[in-house]
Amino acid sequence: MSSARSLLIPMLIALAFLSLATLASFVVGAGEVTPARALTALFGQRDAEAHFVVFELRMVRTMLGISVGVALGAAGSLLQAATRNPLAEPGLLGVSAGASFAVVLAISFGSSAAGLHVWVAVAGALGGCLLVLMVSQVQGVGDDPVRLVLAGAAFSSMLMALTTLLLLFDQRTADEIRFWIIGALGGRSADILSWTAPMIIVSLAIMLVLIRPLASLALGEQVATGLGHNPRLTRLLTLIVVAFLVGAATAAAGPISFVGLIVPFAARALVGSDIRRVLWMAVLLGPSLVLVADVLSRLVVRPYELPIGVIAAVIGAPVLVFVVRSQRVPTL
Amino acid sequence: MLPCFSVARLVRSISIPVSVSVLSASVLMSASFAQAANERTLSTKFGDVTLSGDPQRVVVLEDEALDTALALGLNPVATLATRGGTGVPVYLQDRVGDIKIVGSVREPNLEAVFAMKPDLIIASRNLDKALYEKLSMMAPTVVQESSFATPWKESVVFYGKALNREAETQHKLDALTEKMADLKRKLPKDTVLSVVRWNPQGPIVMSDQLFVGQILTELGLKSAAIAGELNGRPHSDILSLENLSKVDGDWVILATLNSDGQAALDTAKEQPAFARLGAVEKGHVVAVDGQIWSSGSGMLAAESVLDTIAEHLAE
Repeated sequence: MSSARSLLIPMLIALAFLSLATLASFVVGAGEVTPARALTALFGQRDAEAHFVVFELRMVRTMLGISVGVALGAAGSLLQAATRNPLAEPGLLGVSAGASFAVVLAISFGSSAAGLHVWVAVAGALGGCLLVLMVSQVQGVGDDPVRLVLAGAAFSSMLMALTTLLLLFDQRTADEIRFWIIGALGGRSADILSWTAPMIIVSLAIMLVLIRPLASLALGEQVATGLGHNPRLTRLLTLIVVAFLVGAATAAAGPISFVGLIVPFAARALVGSDIRRVLWMAVLLGPSLVLVADVLSRLVVRPYELPIGVIAAVIGAPVLVFVVRSQRVPTL
Repeated sequence: MLPCFSVARLVRSISIPVSVSVLSASVLMSASFAQAANERTLSTKFGDVTLSGDPQRVVVLEDEALDTALALGLNPVATLATRGGTGVPVYLQDRVGDIKIVGSVREPNLEAVFAMKPDLIIASRNLDKALYEKLSMMAPTVVQESSFATPWKESVVFYGKALNREAETQHKLDALTEKMADLKRKLPKDTVLSVVRWNPQGPIVMSDQLFVGQILTELGLKSAAIAGELNGRPHSDILSLENLSKVDGDWVILATLNSDGQAALDTAKEQPAFARLGAVEKGHVVAVDGQIWSSGSGMLAAESVLDTIAEHLAE
């Protein structure tokens, strides 16, 4: 089939890119373990310091980066398909902010269990998604991509303000909360992976079932209904999956904006706008982008680090402007 | 100088003679003589300010000045919520008595300050001119010309002078200096002691020129090299965990804004890069109150720092 072949080449390119990004994430850091030392440690040479840095520090954050990237890349693509809006992005629409606000709220009520945070984050993300759904039903807002983003931005900043307010009332959480305002990959415990990775895998498995009806949405509600699908149900279920993906990613790495915008944008440029193809590209491009951003976050202020959320915003904001300005915003 | 200054002084110079008019002329004369003796000029960020008399309703918009006032046994009527908190720093809570919180560092509430009817306002060095001008319409306002690296004792002397307790302040500072010299003799030589604020993503290195750094230097303790390389910044960004060994030393002090220091220490120990530090392996790691160790300053804060050092390091 020609379509399968044309998908194969971009996917191989993306896979190669992901492999390179993963390798970079193992060998490049803010510390004194050079790429050469890291490589020798990877291939079993004795170098206690390099071994520790590569396997204890960089490996955890690489695995975390990959799972967060998969989740955010997929979530962005799905949210865009479900809202038929190429600017829909979990970070911009307040889904990530909903997740982190819920976690901050839980922390300020005394919760410290990482496992609980995942579920709280999912609940918060679900709240954000439902709001997106409601707003997109409003006449004039749902059809205008930029307006939906504006509504999301307003919602995000409101949640951010509430998070800051909690910070003011509860100094106990001051240092912990910073993480929930701007996401970071460094120093996260490997335990969190055992919660988030299964959740992400299950979410993607559910998408295998949902992807056909979701793709039919692009043909318009009437056609989708005519094909035997239920657009409203499809949209609702997709948004629930998005909430699980974003909740898992946020619990793991804090809110990271723009990944869900850039990744589907790049994926569409490579394989066209069919969600059945975009999703699989996004699953490869998402982790690549997150890992590249994370490697940059280790390099820009050595020997210190910036949170990856800062780097993602610095890369992502110009992309948003570019998409809005240059493309006359494609309809999905 | 603003005209309202002289108006305020005029009002005071009228009201004092009136209130004591029933007393004999000799008392009246000695009273005005004492007042003249109390006259003191402070060189501030916004020019010289001359104060007179014993301030009764002091509003301190600065934690270090609050510490100083409390150390001198004075009770300011109002202050700002400390950074990241809703009230005064925890270590001062027992001493402040009935104090009013008039806003946060970011946003002092001018109306609340005015409602306190202050006769002296001590503000922080970050105060901008616009706010200064408004505050000094309410009462004489003094702002020290300083930076984070200004010797902390200088600031204490400045606040002591503003509070009309110059001699007492010097006396207390001398006692502290002596106490530090005593403690210094009891501390092991060539000891590197590193002060960081713990963050799960990695520690924030505190400059060795800050208040605590100055005290540690006076005690003959060395800081980690990285704490001296911050190029004029009070603290660093988040240090990469890959570079955690740069903050290793004979002792590591974890300052935490979290009032439950033990919890912060436990979180830190879960981080493998932290657990393998030399100081941690030796059990030489102490969790301390960040309101003293990372953002505090003053004589009471100094007492607390000395107590902690003595408890853990003195031989």
